[in-house]
Amino acid sequence: METPTRFASGSDRSKVARLAWQGRIFGAYFVQFLKMRLAYRMDFFIDTLAVGFSLLIQLAVLGVLFSKVRELDGWSFPQVLFIYGFSLVPLGLFNLVSVNLYGFADEYLIGGRFDRVLLRPVGSLAQVIFESFNVSGLNEIFLGLAVMAHASWKLGADFGVIDLLALLFLAPGAALVYLGVFLAITAVSFWVEDKMGLAPPVYNLIRFSRYPITIYSLPVRIFLTFVLPFAWVAFYPAAWFVGGPELAKVALATPLVGVVVFTGAALMWRRGVRNYVSTGS
Amino acid sequence: MNAAGLDAAAGRLAPWRRTPTGSLGLYGHFVRLAFLKFLAYRLRYYTGVFSYTIFVAGHYYLYLALYAGRAADGLSATVGGLTVREMVTYVAISWIGRSLYFNNISRDLARMVTEGEIAMHLIKPFHLQSVMMFEAVGEAGFRLIMFTVPIMLVVVPLFGVGAPAGAAALAWTLVSFTLSLIIYSQLGFLVGCLAFAMKNIQGVLRAQMVGMDFLTGVIVPFTFFPGWFQTVVAWLPFQCISYVPVMIYLGKRTGPDLVSGLLLQSAWAVGLTVAARLVWRFAIRRVTVQGG
Repeated sequence: METPTRFASGSDRSKVARLAWQGRIFGAYFVQFLKMRLAYRMDFFIDTLAVGFSLLIQLAVLGVLFSKVRELDGWSFPQVLFIYGFSLVPLGLFNLVSVNLYGFADEYLIGGRFDRVLLRPVGSLAQVIFESFNVSGLNEIFLGLAVMAHASWKLGADFGVIDLLALLFLAPGAALVYLGVFLAITAVSFWVEDKMGLAPPVYNLIRFSRYPITIYSLPVRIFLTFVLPFAWVAFYPAAWFVGGPELAKVALATPLVGVVVFTGAALMWRRGVRNYVSTGS
Repeated sequence: MNAAGLDAAAGRLAPWRRTPTGSLGLYGHFVRLAFLKFLAYRLRYYTGVFSYTIFVAGHYYLYLALYAGRAADGLSATVGGLTVREMVTYVAISWIGRSLYFNNISRDLARMVTEGEIAMHLIKPFHLQSVMMFEAVGEAGFRLIMFTVPIMLVVVPLFGVGAPAGAAALAWTLVSFTLSLIIYSQLGFLVGCLAFAMKNIQGVLRAQMVGMDFLTGVIVPFTFFPGWFQTVVAWLPFQCISYVPVMIYLGKRTGPDLVSGLLLQSAWAVGLTVAARLVWRFAIRRVTVQGG
């Protein structure tokens, strides 16, 4: 009898074995990617500098603004700093896995790489996401944690184990919101060729989700909370730590929002895949 | 065209045989081509109008909160010499101006170098720096009509942007932003030239993208900063890209200040063009093209 190879179709296995098998495959994807990436160590170093530079500028902007005012709509400098630091963690997590979403329409649909993806017996979405990583996301995560630590020290806050656990839920939850939003935008390209470029304006909105959203007018707040839910990528989850007891309760909804947004986007993706016709190239 | 005709055409194109009017005609052609190229992608700029509206809106609310916070603490209603209304105008005009002078010369040049496409440009009988500058003019023409004006139509009524300080101020603002275009483009060309030395300049391009809006004064006016920082930026070309024209618009630079501002811009425009040409001349001497 022929022994199945390690990467043979997993359809004949039990559910648990199948999950473990998929995990091994994506582990292999990651190792493969790391090997490729380590050939260009200098890039990573320069990227670290670039991320650090951008952080420095953001901090300078915040510093200058708060040199002119004590509180921004009732939010102190350390509080705003904390929200900003927090925002970097989910953004970093999202950046780690999102590189392929930006070029998806061009490289996978028009370039024909998606055919190869569909031929393999693993989920298409997971393949596209795990086929490339942006290691610079790690920079954002670490710098974000450092800014948060500094801000908590300035606040004199004393965070305990519960807060640490909360961070472990809130940050990935917020990252799911990012992933869901941009996945949905990417999935649109299964139906229409995106000549307009929907992603850039949405991406540009991110930088304003780092401020306390109470400074915005009511329509903008509603928009950021329910329509394009970027209030959930930084402000609401960070409010668990710095927003007082009322908003802390709201913060707990973040993972739920993340799961809902991501699930919706994943469903869209699935419909899109069914709708997919190869360009034949 | 027969061989003799081709020869004659090639002769007219050769830089050393070109008359000044011939050069103008040639580079004018690139202006037109760039305009048409961007016209083909005009759909993309509709969502760009949203992006710029978002930029203005975000800063609008931020500065409103800042001025309100000061009022609550009983501090003066002007910050860095600007009232809240002037601040809103500052933000809006900064972004409106950026929509005009912005281009991707650094990225395009870096791509040409890393992908080897540069070889094709080196054998053509014109100077890539001039070509890219004139293409930037064509792009700016497109941007003005299809991008900057629509953004103005949305942003000005939406945020109550103040009128220019006068007809003369408006005219000088336009002159000033034209100089910004040259400075911005030549700086971009210099940054792109780094690709000759570094092969991969993704990190540099990212830093440029992030740093530019800050150093040009688009995000925060320099008068908000401590004195030492203002001294530093006064010696850099970046303030000539946005801060100077916007201050002219607001009527904060008149008389001798206006003249010195425009002269400073002109000096940077000329200086950077010369610098870029020298760097270019040095860089192409040692360029290695692998394929392409």
